Amino acid sequence: MNTANAPTKTRAQQRAARKARSGEVTSIWSKVGIYVVLTVVAAMMLFPFIFMLGTSAKTSADSFRFPPRILPRDPVIGEFNGEQVPLYVISIEGSEQQTALVEEGIRAGLFALSDDPTDTYAWPLDRVEATGTTVDYVIEGETESLEVFRVPIDGEIVELPKIRNTSVGRFVDVDDPSAEGFGVVRTSQPVEDISFHWSNYSEVLDIRSFDRAITNTILVTILVVAGQLFTSIMGGYAFARLKWTGRDRLFVAYLGSIMIPFVVLIIPLFQIMVRLDWNNTLGVLVWPFFYTAYGTFLMRQFFLSIPKDLEEAAVVDGAKRWRILWTIFVPLSWPAIATLATFSFLYAWNSFIWPLVAVDVGNEDSSVLTIALSTLGGQGADQPQLIFAGVTLAMLVPMLVFVAAQKYFVENVASSGLK
Amino acid sequence: VLGFLAFFAGPLLFSFYVSFTSWDGLTDIEWIGLDNYARIFGLQFTTVGDGQAVTEVLKQNYQELIRWGDFIIAARDRLFWVGLRNILVFSVTAVPLAVFPALVLAAFLNQKLPGVKFFRAVYFIPAVAGVVGISLIWKQLYNATVGFINYGFVRLWDLINLLPGADFTAPQPEWLSNARVTLFSVVIVFAWQAVGFNTVLFLAGMQGISGSLYEAASIDGAGAWSKFWRITVPMLRPTTLFVVATTTILALQLFNELFILFAPQQQPSGPNNSTLTPVVQLYQEGFQRFNQGFASALAWVLFAIIFAITILYFRRQREDVAA
Repeated sequence: MNTANAPTKTRAQQRAARKARSGEVTSIWSKVGIYVVLTVVAAMMLFPFIFMLGTSAKTSADSFRFPPRILPRDPVIGEFNGEQVPLYVISIEGSEQQTALVEEGIRAGLFALSDDPTDTYAWPLDRVEATGTTVDYVIEGETESLEVFRVPIDGEIVELPKIRNTSVGRFVDVDDPSAEGFGVVRTSQPVEDISFHWSNYSEVLDIRSFDRAITNTILVTILVVAGQLFTSIMGGYAFARLKWTGRDRLFVAYLGSIMIPFVVLIIPLFQIMVRLDWNNTLGVLVWPFFYTAYGTFLMRQFFLSIPKDLEEAAVVDGAKRWRILWTIFVPLSWPAIATLATFSFLYAWNSFIWPLVAVDVGNEDSSVLTIALSTLGGQGADQPQLIFAGVTLAMLVPMLVFVAAQKYFVENVASSGLK
Repeated sequence: VLGFLAFFAGPLLFSFYVSFTSWDGLTDIEWIGLDNYARIFGLQFTTVGDGQAVTEVLKQNYQELIRWGDFIIAARDRLFWVGLRNILVFSVTAVPLAVFPALVLAAFLNQKLPGVKFFRAVYFIPAVAGVVGISLIWKQLYNATVGFINYGFVRLWDLINLLPGADFTAPQPEWLSNARVTLFSVVIVFAWQAVGFNTVLFLAGMQGISGSLYEAASIDGAGAWSKFWRITVPMLRPTTLFVVATTTILALQLFNELFILFAPQQQPSGPNNSTLTPVVQLYQEGFQRFNQGFASALAWVLFAIIFAITILYFRRQREDVAA
């Protein structure tokens, strides 16, 4: 080893060691590679949502267009001779011009430009001249005898075989009305501009059941979150601090219940609701979710970590348990409470299978957003833009809550889940 | 506590009782003992001779399930076994797809590079967006004629065909109507939604690994790659167990995605029952045909499977702690 290089090397090693503390990679190429992967994955995660936003502002026709596009576009309407006409881009005399469609349904021939039957040219029949001759032409493996016509293309006359009849539109240059061209309207390229049809949102809100579903979902979610917070705080405190017989055994039962999937409970819960005559009411979506074993567990764990000295001081002061709970424990437990609240919120807002079985399909008064969206997805299959406006509205609130609670949520969810 | 009894313990016992009855939820309960379970697990192994019709050798109500040459396995409730097979295939594909990429992404996010928080938030979005909305979006993306995914295939194959001598036709799968791809379509949606949440879990686990371990490894000359395999992965074992267990349990209860993706043109069981899962069967039996007794039995069988996985998880975890 060269002794002159030794000190610099040591410094490099030190730097490497410092980075290594957190298992970091050092080379610039690895960093670039990591960013590329992270960005590609982020694009995959975001694309469906971008697609949703774009489609939610489209017209119905635009949302079924092929090839699909992200941004909503509208055909541009121009004025020609005092009339409102759609604009198209058409090749006139070899150059692309912005033209107005002035006449449709002109009888025309579809002429073959080459041996490839899809390489064609359409021109009105009264502007071509038959040569009286025919030519053999192969279409889909079959040889046909086609009439040959003299067709003007960009000012030159070319002899072309006619494959079949079609109809074309007449397009006139907006700036120079003497220049005209013909083309099949359906395959012509319309002039389009980007325009957002935000009215889709008000349209979807005008659907009575949807509007009602939003109100219901908000109501149900608030009640469930409040209920879960209350029962979890009370239950968590009871398990953490109060001493009563059977406490630990019941706590094990609670823990066990976290593992039981909801589907096992669907049928008996449904039966109970039918017996109580609660099905088809909003209450059926609230009461069964007032208690949460997970939340109770979470709060108990958090309460256990609060030092006992704090409450003992309060007990000496003569404070009641109730007051101790709300003035000492609750304010100290904000991170856990925020996590639990976010969890309950997402659960209540997005729950689907229980409202599906507990509320009749036609019952709009007690419908919630998930069900309304599902119904809309079925009935409005030809109106994706309305479905997507609805989906966007339904996702808006969870997204806002997520952004607001991210600090607690992302960091605490992870650690609390692992305890 | 009262709520626990009213909405949990009570229903649980009641459900267990109902699973031994034949009940439509309205009329009187009729005790039929183990018959619901016998219906679920009823299998018949038999062979069929030459010139014999299959129906001749099968017991009454039994339907052919699998056949190798002359050997036949028949089931009393064929759909249960179809659903079981579907959910196993689904879990075995979807869980790795939702876990491995999450591990890699978490390792990348753990590099403390600028912008990491942004990526972490982006990956988490699908987890909060709600499965109904997400399924509606994917349904449109999967559209076989105007959907973005098949269009993406066209463009991608156009690129490939730029290579000299390449002339391929882009595949245009019918994602939601071809019985051979439907289950895989659902796998994609599920993994896409679960991967971000798992990434965050892994990331939390990684941040709990002591930095001195990496430091020691660096001094021994370990590269980033070997550090990942020899330190990160072994130290993450508890997290990995947790993530695999929760994702599997979630996968086994697959229902919502199916209900949205295939409605209203098709049943949630998909074309040719290709996406029939236990929960879908439970829904159809319990709430469309109102065989609530049988549906309860189905629920308990599903619970037994999930419970077995949970026990397995806890046992592994305890072993780890002990070791």
